[in-house]
Amino acid sequence: MEFMALIMFAVTFAVLLSGYPVALSLAGVALLFAAIGILTGTFSASDLGFTPGRLFGIVTNQTLIAVPLFVFMGVVLEKTKLAENLLRNLAYAFRHARGGLAITVVLVGMLMAASTGIVGATVVTMGLMALPTMLEDKYHPGFATGVISATGTLGQIIPPSIALVLLGDVLSNAFQQAQLNMGIFAPKSVSVGDLFAGAIIPGLLLVALYLAYVIGNAFLNQQDMPKPKFPEGELAPGLGQMVVALAPPLLLIAAVLGSILGGWATPTEAAAVGASGALILAWTNGALTRTVLSEVSQSTLSTTAMVFFILIGASIFSLVFRGLGGEELVHALFEDMPGGMWGALAIVMLVIFLLGFILDFIEITFVVVPIVGPVLLAMGIDPVWLGVLIAVNLQTSFLTPPFGFALFYLRGVTPQWVETTQMYKGVIPFIVLQLVLLAALIIWPGLTTWLPEMIYGPK
Amino acid sequence: MQNLARWIDLFQTKLASVIKWLGLAMVIVTIVVVVLRYIFNTGAIALQESVMYMHGLLFLLGIPYGVLSNTHVRVDIVYARQTGRIQNLINLTGHILFLLPISLFIFWTSLPYVEASWRVFEGSAEVGGLPAVFLLKTMIPVMALLLFLQAASQIIKCIGEHRTGTS
Repeated sequence: MEFMALIMFAVTFAVLLSGYPVALSLAGVALLFAAIGILTGTFSASDLGFTPGRLFGIVTNQTLIAVPLFVFMGVVLEKTKLAENLLRNLAYAFRHARGGLAITVVLVGMLMAASTGIVGATVVTMGLMALPTMLEDKYHPGFATGVISATGTLGQIIPPSIALVLLGDVLSNAFQQAQLNMGIFAPKSVSVGDLFAGAIIPGLLLVALYLAYVIGNAFLNQQDMPKPKFPEGELAPGLGQMVVALAPPLLLIAAVLGSILGGWATPTEAAAVGASGALILAWTNGALTRTVLSEVSQSTLSTTAMVFFILIGASIFSLVFRGLGGEELVHALFEDMPGGMWGALAIVMLVIFLLGFILDFIEITFVVVPIVGPVLLAMGIDPVWLGVLIAVNLQTSFLTPPFGFALFYLRGVTPQWVETTQMYKGVIPFIVLQLVLLAALIIWPGLTTWLPEMIYGPK
Repeated sequence: MQNLARWIDLFQTKLASVIKWLGLAMVIVTIVVVVLRYIFNTGAIALQESVMYMHGLLFLLGIPYGVLSNTHVRVDIVYARQTGRIQNLINLTGHILFLLPISLFIFWTSLPYVEASWRVFEGSAEVGGLPAVFLLKTMIPVMALLLFLQAASQIIKCIGEHRTGTS
């Protein structure tokens, strides 16, 4: 009977590859297998009766209300071209320095990641805004595309990212369940705030690694980044102008993050503050028209519906997966794993990395983490540490050729004369940096757990 | 039949053009809640719950529209390389095999759940909360119904495109 769960997983995979919408594939295949299970007497039909309760649980989930608000904030910043203007101003300011444009891309990418948190949007915007200028300035195409795709994926890890909100919610359920399974009836909890705090140091570390590589490359491989010809008679914008350009988005991010980490606001309230801040910024720039507002609302509707439909599909999927005995299967698998906790963790990380080639963050968070999370956490793994590891791991996966998402997005907006193999080669140094960070996080878990413990006290 | 599909699409589009504003409304109401709490020191549970209601309406009713506007994500490594005709067949098969059963399944399982809630006119668990939990729960079968209508519309359109070879 347990092999049914395995077959269901395999069939779901095949259906997903056909390209039918993910949410419907998950729920549809699950219902098919539930029907087969009911007919063969291996699945109890009453299990399906939990579905409406689960759906309503998604509606009333207080953490997830933050999602449409964060989406709204990100879309406002994107549609009103605030990020584009930022990139343009900064790029101009740094243009006379060798590698200045690449440094700008990393810095603006970090800010955009923190404010929009959507990988596709960041990569495409940067690709459209910075790539033509970089190529015009005779940057090596591989290096230029590598910098852009790598910074584009920062949206996964740098808080306040939507990915971390979703992961935080799923991990907190998994953590509760793990403790209940262990017979702890006053379980400790882990919050979205914990995960945000845990991701800050690794995120900044990653940006620092990127910057170090860009600057090092600027000195060592000068043919990759020729010193641009600075038009005569034009003056670089002064420090004052840069502060004016940088301050608003920085303040916005600081307000959102600070209010969550300081415990003054729930993630939902902080997201609303961020969204209205973005609206005010857009309004003062004269970019807030009725048309833009309508587009923002439309885009928020689509993205929110997309995310929550996957959540619904995944919850029907996991209901059937459990009913078919899939959970015992995963437990048994992990118990036989050589190397105990480390063996299990290594396998999970490998599977998530490979799944990252075809599935997005949302699907993996909703489908895989609820299944493996409770088992791993019951082995004593710190939930915040696990969450950040998963986030960095997936981010690496999105960068890795030939299937990395970021590379697909960027290929779509890169001129044809830049060869795909050049793009693949250009991104490799950044993958190495990702792996360096991953190794550092494994060797020194304190990099993730120290800040949440400082803020919220030890777990 | 194509006319029926057109009417369904028109209805979902109109509905979406109204509920999409709930996102903006959520931002505004949440800000009001924050201001009331920190500046006027008063809680507003009903107002806070209204954000949850708007959130539920936004995504539940947005889901069927997402099927129409084709904004639900796909794994498009293979799909993107197929001809329009094959893509159309993939969608048609999926709609019949998955989308229709899912909509019917959610509808039938949620009816007794919602009925139990209506019987007691279930309200908020919190004092001062909105007394309309039964209405919010009703949105689940409503979503399923809209999903069913959209499934019908998509299937009609897919068959039409397949026959005329316009895809």
